[in-house]
Amino acid sequence: MFRLEGVSVSSGAETVLADVSVAVGTGEVLAVIGPSGVGKTTLLDTLALSTRPDEGVVRFDGTAAWAAGRGTRLGVRRRLGMVFQEANLFDASVRRNVEYGLRVRQSWRERVGGAIRGRLLSNRLVGWLRRLRATVGGDPTAPDGGSAGRSTAVEEALGVVGMADAADRHTASLSGGEAQRVAFARALAYDPDLLLLDEPTSDLDPRNTAVIEEAVATARDSGIGVVLATHDMHQAERVADRVAVLLGNGVVERGPTAQVFEDPAEERTRKFVAGELVY
Amino acid sequence: MEIQRREFLAAAGAGTLAGLAGCSGGSGSGDGGGDRPGVAGETLTLTTTTSTDDTGLLDELHPPFEGMYGVTVDAVAQGTGAALETARAGDSDVVMVHARSLEDEFMREGLGVNRRDLMFNDFVVVGPESDPAGIEGMSSATAAFAAIANASAPFVSRGDNSGTHTKELAIWAQSSAEPGGDWYRETGQGMGQVLNIASEQGGYTLSDRGTYLSQRGEVDLVILVQGPIEGGPDTLANPYGVMAVNPAVHDSVNYDLAMAYIGYLTSPQAQDVISNYEANGKQLFFPRALSEDPDFQQYVPEGWSSSEGR
Amino acid sequence: MMGPGLDTVLLGPLLVEFPFEATYVRSIISVSLYVSLIAVALSTLVSVPVAVLVGLSDFRGKGVLTSVINTGMGFPSVVVGLAVLFLVSNQGPLGALDLVFTKEAMVLSQFVLATPPVTAISLAAVTGVDRGVRDAAHALGGTRVDTALVVVKQARYGVATAVLAGFGRAISEVGSVLIVGGNIAGADGVSKTRTLTTAIQLEARQGRYGTAMVLGAVLVGLVLVVNAVVVRLGGRGVGG
Repeated sequence: MFRLEGVSVSSGAETVLADVSVAVGTGEVLAVIGPSGVGKTTLLDTLALSTRPDEGVVRFDGTAAWAAGRGTRLGVRRRLGMVFQEANLFDASVRRNVEYGLRVRQSWRERVGGAIRGRLLSNRLVGWLRRLRATVGGDPTAPDGGSAGRSTAVEEALGVVGMADAADRHTASLSGGEAQRVAFARALAYDPDLLLLDEPTSDLDPRNTAVIEEAVATARDSGIGVVLATHDMHQAERVADRVAVLLGNGVVERGPTAQVFEDPAEERTRKFVAGELVY
Repeated sequence: MEIQRREFLAAAGAGTLAGLAGCSGGSGSGDGGGDRPGVAGETLTLTTTTSTDDTGLLDELHPPFEGMYGVTVDAVAQGTGAALETARAGDSDVVMVHARSLEDEFMREGLGVNRRDLMFNDFVVVGPESDPAGIEGMSSATAAFAAIANASAPFVSRGDNSGTHTKELAIWAQSSAEPGGDWYRETGQGMGQVLNIASEQGGYTLSDRGTYLSQRGEVDLVILVQGPIEGGPDTLANPYGVMAVNPAVHDSVNYDLAMAYIGYLTSPQAQDVISNYEANGKQLFFPRALSEDPDFQQYVPEGWSSSEGR
Repeated sequence: MMGPGLDTVLLGPLLVEFPFEATYVRSIISVSLYVSLIAVALSTLVSVPVAVLVGLSDFRGKGVLTSVINTGMGFPSVVVGLAVLFLVSNQGPLGALDLVFTKEAMVLSQFVLATPPVTAISLAAVTGVDRGVRDAAHALGGTRVDTALVVVKQARYGVATAVLAGFGRAISEVGSVLIVGGNIAGADGVSKTRTLTTAIQLEARQGRYGTAMVLGAVLVGLVLVVNAVVVRLGGRGVGG
């Protein structure tokens, strides 16, 4: 369970979030809706431990993240996946992008070894090293087991967004929609417990939007918790299990999707979902 | 008579060392065993003036010495002022320069020891063939300089505290004229560049004979006042001296090797190399270290006498 | 098409007018490369981490520090040469190491000269990397070191440019290598501390502008070759 408890965040003199509490569990989609500039991104950044709240607690499975050490926070961060409004892909191949999360989770020894194997050493030399390792009693399959597992995870993640064939393309050759799908796969590849999506489809055409929404459902069904920040109420209605409405620095209403949309308790919420609002 | 014998003994000593070095080199025991001179493998740093290096003389002089002792000579060509300054900081072991007044100062400061006269050549005053100041054939360099100044004819100066520059300033000081004004151009450049500039600007300059000869074909300049080698005034003499850096001041210098080097340079063998060295068919330097007559002046600053008490 | 023409231009004077042996020219080239490449390699090892550190963090005085680095690009090389000479001279703080008139002293002065441009250009490249890329690396579980590595990889063309600029400055510089190196070549015609630039200066000093030009052409050719190699390596890094 991931939650913000009474979180306040300010930027300079301006209050961005005031006393906000939200919670999301595994296997559910929470949509955070509200107009632009209301603090949805800050809320996700706070959940992602990129922003430290002035007040309140960010809690993961009972652990207060900011009270714990940096190592603990890194461990928590590594259970998260995040997709931004822009794809923010690295200037490299699709495969290198998608396996990035897996690579940073390896030890430095594995990473340096992998880089050397990948770039400098001939296959023959690698074989020779492996035999040498076998003779001195190590596990001869260890290095390859790692890279094979990584390769499978990359393919699976790309498959979820329908980009399985694109692994060896360079990101410069991708369309905007394809890039965003790769960004989604990149956040999915290391099997996070929580996905944070910040307006992931606001720049996309309907076809690519549909692919992402379907991928969100797939992720949820595999037990991943999802927080989706969106200003698109229809999207929230389509994919969310629960909705939190963010207006004027705070959560003004929350509940199961159908209830919030059909029978809002607050007048402001009613106006917002009816498209009449605003600020 | 006694001096002469001592010099002979020194030369004989060097010869013996050379013989030894030759033997052990031939026997192939190359890793500095007991039969090599104790200095084998060491490096001697020489700071010197550009003219000795640029003319290629050092490339002729050094191989026999390097072979004899199994050492390397690093020759840094800097111009007289800078060469002495480097030695002053203890960054070189031996200096070979051509500005007696600066050498004397160096000795008086206690930095230079065992100075020897080495060789000489001379300076010439060169200028355009049209000779606007009318100095051609003058027998006095100071009169020639005064005429140039009176005519306000362009004069290109090294302006770099080199031996040549020092000589030029000394001549101006002796003449009745002041260098300065539009016609007097300090360049801060090497001799070759100064000759080019003088040629392009139709100006006069003071040059060492060797550099002028090697560049004669490329510049429109002729010799207007000869140096002493061709019968000109002694003012234009260009004597080179060599001395070791005082190990009592800088204990890091390689004094033994510096003295071996000075011994070699002033030996008949090296003096022969100097007198046989030619560029463009002309002898550039004249040996001066060997003389049957005593010449005490070379060891001490000019005008020094024991009554000075220092 | 330019092959034979260039050969005639370069080798013609080399064989006919050049008073130098091939070993001489080869040894000066190798001294030039030795000094410049080692100096720039050391500069890069220092500059890129500094650029990343400064570029990715916010602190008081960052603007001042940046302009200090930029000012360093204009360091007069002769002044650097004198400062290094003072350092390594027999009476200077590093005097005991006996570095005057050695390649190591030249490496030191070229390192001092190359570091500001390498740092400044790397810093500009690092600063130019899209903020979103850093956010992505962080969000994907990267540590600060991981994020820095991603930024350097994204900035690799800029960093390559920085390294080339540093190399260009180091190999084409004459003032400081002359002062601390002494332009020494042995009597056997093998360079000890003579570089292409100081050899050019030596020719020019004697008014031999023709041979100086030939050495100049060699220097330009060398810089072109090194640039081509770096661009080639930079291009291959795309898989990164």
